Amino acid sequence: MGRAAYIRRRFLLMIFVLFGVTVVIFGMVRILPGDPAFLILGDRATDQKAAELREQLGLNRPVLEQYWMFVSGFARGDMGQSLLYRQPVGDLVLRRVPVSLALAAYAMGLAALITLTFGILAAINKGRWPDQLIRVGFLFALTTPNFWFGILLILLLGLTLHWFPVAGFGETAAQHVWYLFLPALTLALQLSAVLIRNLRGQVILTMRSDFVRTAHAKGLSGSLVLLRHVLRNALLSTLTIFGLQFGFLVGGAIVVETVFALPGTGQLLIQSITARDYPVVQAITVISAVLVIVVNLVVDLSYSFLDPRVTYE
Amino acid sequence: MFARNTRWPVISAVVSALLLGACAPTGTQSATTQPSASSGPKVLKMARNAEPFSPFVPWQIDDNPALFISVNVYDTLLRTTKDGVSVEPGLASKWEGSADGLTWTFTLRDGAKFSDGSPLKASDVKGSLDMARGGEKSAWKDNYKAIKEITAPDDKTVKIVLSQPYAPLLSVLAMFSGGILPADMAKATDAKDYDNALAWKTKGTGAYYSEGWKKGDPIVLKANPNYWKGKPAIDEVRIEYVPDDNTRTLKLQGGESDLVDFVPFSQIAALNGQSGVKAQTFTIQQSAFVILNTSKPPLDDAKVRQALNYATDKDAIIKTVYFGQAKFMNSPIPQGTYWDKNLPGYPYDIEKAKKLMSESSGKAGFKMDMQVRSGNTNFANTAVILKEAWAKLGVTVDIQTLDTAVVRTNYRAGNFMSTPSAWTNDMNDPTEIVNYAMRGGASPFSYWTRYNNPDLNDRITKADLEQDAKKREAQYSEIQKIYLDAAPLVFIAYLGATAGWRNNVDGFFIDGLSYYRFEDVKINK
Repeated sequence: MGRAAYIRRRFLLMIFVLFGVTVVIFGMVRILPGDPAFLILGDRATDQKAAELREQLGLNRPVLEQYWMFVSGFARGDMGQSLLYRQPVGDLVLRRVPVSLALAAYAMGLAALITLTFGILAAINKGRWPDQLIRVGFLFALTTPNFWFGILLILLLGLTLHWFPVAGFGETAAQHVWYLFLPALTLALQLSAVLIRNLRGQVILTMRSDFVRTAHAKGLSGSLVLLRHVLRNALLSTLTIFGLQFGFLVGGAIVVETVFALPGTGQLLIQSITARDYPVVQAITVISAVLVIVVNLVVDLSYSFLDPRVTYE
Repeated sequence: MFARNTRWPVISAVVSALLLGACAPTGTQSATTQPSASSGPKVLKMARNAEPFSPFVPWQIDDNPALFISVNVYDTLLRTTKDGVSVEPGLASKWEGSADGLTWTFTLRDGAKFSDGSPLKASDVKGSLDMARGGEKSAWKDNYKAIKEITAPDDKTVKIVLSQPYAPLLSVLAMFSGGILPADMAKATDAKDYDNALAWKTKGTGAYYSEGWKKGDPIVLKANPNYWKGKPAIDEVRIEYVPDDNTRTLKLQGGESDLVDFVPFSQIAALNGQSGVKAQTFTIQQSAFVILNTSKPPLDDAKVRQALNYATDKDAIIKTVYFGQAKFMNSPIPQGTYWDKNLPGYPYDIEKAKKLMSESSGKAGFKMDMQVRSGNTNFANTAVILKEAWAKLGVTVDIQTLDTAVVRTNYRAGNFMSTPSAWTNDMNDPTEIVNYAMRGGASPFSYWTRYNNPDLNDRITKADLEQDAKKREAQYSEIQKIYLDAAPLVFIAYLGATAGWRNNVDGFFIDGLSYYRFEDVKINK
């Protein structure tokens, strides 16, 4: 099967996955106890007023009908009305997606840089102090909670050294890049911790292969062997994890967005879950699912570029 | 009415205190922040703990962040004084009531204009208050139900006619929900298909106005050049949403924010120990307590409830949970108008508690749940202390940490035995709290305690009608005493509202109802 056919099949599959996602998320937010009507109206609301609101918001219609409204609306590009804000969900969510996406992409870019640098450094210094230092250092990053790690970075790079702003998003594009650096770094360091361990192992393993010995024997320089022969083979499995970690990034970004006061989807998601704002929670979840699926597809496709032997079937 | 100290606590207070300690030496670097250039517009950058969700339409507001904006953009006929216990002129420069207390005449001040320059007219006041008391979307109608009719005999005069005497009227008119919009705008906001997003563009007579806002962006308030007190000193207020308590404080220390609200109680002292910044707790009319469900035995026995009150070491809670930034709660109502400062409350007395318990229906000991809203560290810490304290009475407290939405659903339905909560007055008159938190028989069932005392209910109704201030004060003293003795709540502490600012910010003040007005704030140099 060619690449095009593979992509077609994956897109078909995506529809089923998305269907599953909509069912699960629709069910989950409704199983949660807590009545959105009282959350919106406040404690002073009478039962009658709450009933009127439920009627108005369509919350007392049959569950299947509500589900159909959600899915069919989504298919038409209409994500419904926010229960809390009484505004189209699209307006609320879509302008936040770029923020979260930029953060994720930024973090992944930084993670790639960090992983390549330190992964290879650790591998070629296997067992010596740089290797030990890198492994212990990133273990610390991995095991430290996001929000704590973010605050540490703020204290060091923001408050003490004044290299980066403490928190916020800035207003111009250049400011965004500057403001997003610390949150992206927070995410990237944790992400790299997993990736570096993997890449280090893969590089060490590959360096033991016969073809590497051959390459050395041919008289190729060490760095050429490493970059052209070792890395290309070692990267495959690291890339798989990299792709899967995008999902983690979408989830991990929720906390980081709050700590760094970024107006992304994660922040909105937290508010919306607390407020039982079903349509917003549904929209963000579905959009995140689409993003994760697409990124994983891109990762799967990239194998064939890294390794021409890979075919899709 | 809504607890104003719930926020998104990411790190415990202890951790934040450590952090502050860790970065104390950097506090001296405040010189790196540039105060706005003397020639350019003066901008105040504020970081706030929450974003509004209500539109900026005074009577439709049901969240604190929106009402804090509202008082800066929409004036009311009268204002609550800074100490929060009386009223002063707002858009009305004078007023007078008829002898029977049924007709009130207000004279509008000269020179009051909306932010677009159009003059304020009596018809705008009528149009707005009619919506506040009768609009389909008004959340505060109950407060205005004594009003029979509002008329505007001429452009400067507003007449309010009551169907029965209503002592809290002036306080109600000073409440944020009575903010004045142009009459046509007031009416338009009540339409079913009105787009709430439009209301974030304001047109009021207040010191500031907003040209619109999108959720996620900072809220920008611009100085109203037509403001009747003169254009305010600060040209622009930019309010950024920073939900994390520690991040907000760090932004203040780093000079990215000039002013922050909701500084954790644990950080007040540490911030004041640093140069460049100040932090303060303001007295507001807020109280913290535990709601007891008096319909669940043995909590139906007043002696049990009194015992729990005596067994609660308020000073320990004030010290450990609120870091000394709170006061002993001596009465069921906060320190506003007619608060009886002479009531004894329930000073900690474990012997008395044990004796009461031994005479009560709970003497064999019992188990009770305490439902704590997740995310509120103060409530969670209070619950832990109470669990240990009440164990001495043979009471086994089962702490259940639940989502706020679940706790609400449960206390509405009566599916709980106890839950920590807080109250903030929205008006300086006690009518709001006594009607909400003490009147039984119907929703909200005396703040969901299910306590119902017909004699007390009658007294509450009578106090609303009483015109004589002295007599009213005596009536409210009696009401407070009856409720205190019955103890449907475990009375703990009066809380304050906190804020922190850079040294060059001057005049920031949170009043008794927890409003703050930027018109009084200056940035020096």
